[in-house]
Amino acid sequence: MTWLRIFGVGGYLSYRALFNWQSPTYYIPTMLAHPVFQILFFAYLGRFSGTESDAFFVVGNGIQVCAMAGVYGMALTVGGERWTHTLGSLLATPANRSALFLGRALPNVVNGVLVSVFGLGVGRLLLDFHPAPGSVPSIFLLVVVCTLSCSAFGLAVGALGLRFRDVFMIANPAYFLMLLLCGVNVPLDRLPNWMSTIGSGLPLTHGIAAAREVADGASLGSVSTLVWKEIAVGACWTVVAYVLLRVFEAEGRRRATLETM
Amino acid sequence: MRVARLVWVGLVFRVKELTRSGLFVFTSVIEPLIFATLTYYLFSAGSRPETVIYSALGAGMMGIWTSTLFASGGAISWQRWQGTLELLVAAPPAFLLVIFPLTLGSATIGLYSLTATLAWERVVFGLPFDPVHPFQFVLAVPTMIFGLGALGLVIATSFVLYRNANALSNMLEFPVWLATGVIVPLSLLPGWTSVIGWMLAPTWGFEAMRRSVFGGDVWAPMGMCLALSAVYFGIAWYLMGIFERRARERATLSLA
Amino acid sequence: MTPVVEVRDLRRTYRTSTGIVKRRSIEIEAVRGVSFEIAEGELFGLLGPNGAGKTTTIKMLITLLIPTSGTAHVLGLDVVKDAHEVRKRIGYVFGGDRGLYERLSAYDNLRYFAELYGVPPRNQRRRIEELLDLVGLEGREKERVEGYSRGMRQRLHIARGLLHDPPVVFLDEPTIGVDPVGARDLRATIASLTESGKTVLLTTHYMFEADSLCNRIAVINKGVIVAEGTPSDLKSIVADKTVVEIETFGIAPETIERLRQAPGVTSISVEEREQAQVLHVQSAKGLELTQELLGMLNGTAVGRVAAREPTLEDAYVALVDAA
Repeated sequence: MTWLRIFGVGGYLSYRALFNWQSPTYYIPTMLAHPVFQILFFAYLGRFSGTESDAFFVVGNGIQVCAMAGVYGMALTVGGERWTHTLGSLLATPANRSALFLGRALPNVVNGVLVSVFGLGVGRLLLDFHPAPGSVPSIFLLVVVCTLSCSAFGLAVGALGLRFRDVFMIANPAYFLMLLLCGVNVPLDRLPNWMSTIGSGLPLTHGIAAAREVADGASLGSVSTLVWKEIAVGACWTVVAYVLLRVFEAEGRRRATLETM
Repeated sequence: MRVARLVWVGLVFRVKELTRSGLFVFTSVIEPLIFATLTYYLFSAGSRPETVIYSALGAGMMGIWTSTLFASGGAISWQRWQGTLELLVAAPPAFLLVIFPLTLGSATIGLYSLTATLAWERVVFGLPFDPVHPFQFVLAVPTMIFGLGALGLVIATSFVLYRNANALSNMLEFPVWLATGVIVPLSLLPGWTSVIGWMLAPTWGFEAMRRSVFGGDVWAPMGMCLALSAVYFGIAWYLMGIFERRARERATLSLA
Repeated sequence: MTPVVEVRDLRRTYRTSTGIVKRRSIEIEAVRGVSFEIAEGELFGLLGPNGAGKTTTIKMLITLLIPTSGTAHVLGLDVVKDAHEVRKRIGYVFGGDRGLYERLSAYDNLRYFAELYGVPPRNQRRRIEELLDLVGLEGREKERVEGYSRGMRQRLHIARGLLHDPPVVFLDEPTIGVDPVGARDLRATIASLTESGKTVLLTTHYMFEADSLCNRIAVINKGVIVAEGTPSDLKSIVADKTVVEIETFGIAPETIERLRQAPGVTSISVEEREQAQVLHVQSAKGLELTQELLGMLNGTAVGRVAAREPTLEDAYVALVDAA
């Protein structure tokens, strides 16, 4: 019961405390306009390069922009404890650590889904992207799955932000590397082997591939392997994030870096 | 002469300051390299091989806008935090003379991005870098930086007027890349966006850079870039004047 | 009766590295073998100058730091091995501006920590209101913390530390930086904690605070405890002393040194008061040093001269100087 309350109520309160872009003045440009421009930019880049279709870039970037919440949002709501100097107070409580940190992911997941859905919607309006009729619910499901696994990855990024000083120094490159390695803009088979291997271990890669096929008319069942891979990637990153958090906490207690972190 | 010296000193100071920020140098080098890699693989898979080198230069120039955008807004936030913003606003010429070196310096830092990207493309992807007009290339670089610094100045000025302008800076990276045609030619975009593009000084700066590398008349775009920059100065001056009047009428300097 | 807090030979070393090219490792022993006990219902004070090791000691007791060696038990539980159980039973209040969520209201800050401390949901609202009342923040709880003064934040910290009604409360310099009126109210609140049966450990470098609040005090300096006892016990360390206060203006450091070396002088502490430097000269009772001292001050402007009884502060100075 307490676990759930820390996860739900606690997660919600931390999100309100630490997420910088809540007011419309910030939310609209950062979480809505910026992703739309990203989608437009890469779609035109794609047209110029004469490679894939608009749909390729819209689906890829439309889903990737969930990382605005999944990576940046998590960086703020987890790594942000450092700036507020509340980490010591948090860890002095008996609160269950998994509830404490996983709870922050939930509002970010909701936010991320919103951002992606908006981006995909605008892409549908402005570009040459016409998802197959009846594919919308499946695409939505895939967006949710991708946002979940992306937030797990973001939790790991946020954990690193607790340990190292500038969380954005990790979050920024992470966001941009996703553009390169997750098949968002460049099909994986065009990348050198080692890059596509890394990409397969990152969130979104499999989900985006599945979403492209579904938008083209494939059924959810036919892409189930990809969906399971995406879920597996998300699960692994959740474990990684949790381990990092526990390791950093233990290290912080040993090396006295909790407050100065 | 004193003015030129003031600007120069401010510029050097800003460059040193930004260079010392690990985070800033990191992002101003790493991000462009990621973009360069992305564009290389994207374009080399495409149906038009000549676009590879074209986009390589574009990727290099993209980083300069990123530096300009984020460091210009940051300069204002820094001044505000220092408490020196109000003092500067009271005298528009002084304000511009202090802020312009900051935005110009921010654009200059972009040279790290450009150099790193070109070197990366040469070394990792074997893309040749052979400017058709090397002498004009050397002149085009500072012109482009000047144009970007001028655009940064207009943006910085609006940051003073509107406290939450930094919300907008979060979203201006991609649109300016598109509007200035840094990597995607303006001809590919809807007609009305080209009009916006032609009003932006950096568009001409980028064009001058491209022509010095690939061939064409470099002087015309350079001239346009500098002319537009002068117009931006005027706009910034005018905006500062409005604000100063407003601040004096209402006695509210919502600067802190 | 088992003591509520039991500390045995606690040590904590910090290792810091300096330099970028040639990294040198420096080891600093912040706490060098500290032992003490706190009985149930006691208000125990840990008194010492900045850097003495007070905060480090308290952090080990609240499980945020692992000791390099030695043991500490709170309510019979080991702070390292049973950290989780310890956390449920202690409250932790620290001084300073930070450590609260600025964007949230005081009420929401308390709500959040109430969840983390596992306060049953049906009790939360009542408990939060009780505590807001106790610390004098009722009526202001819906405002965002970013608008709070230092004193208000301090009071909110205390409310937060008491949410789960812990039997043991640790307060780290709770009145630092608070205005005198606010600080007095805070002290009254702290005093009331033991009245309700709680055990309190308080660190401070304000002498009069320790004197007025604490049942027992341990003086810590440079990582070791140099004295322990009731305030009267400690004052008796200097009971056989007398203190002469000499107000000087612009006294040279060499002159102070010469006075220190003067026969019969136990210690001198210098207090800066606006333009003046007030010398508190300790010496054994019965020795009439005043004329001699004034003679040595020839050339320095001198204001008021007064003899007085030693206070806890003087005991403290004597202890800290000797260490």
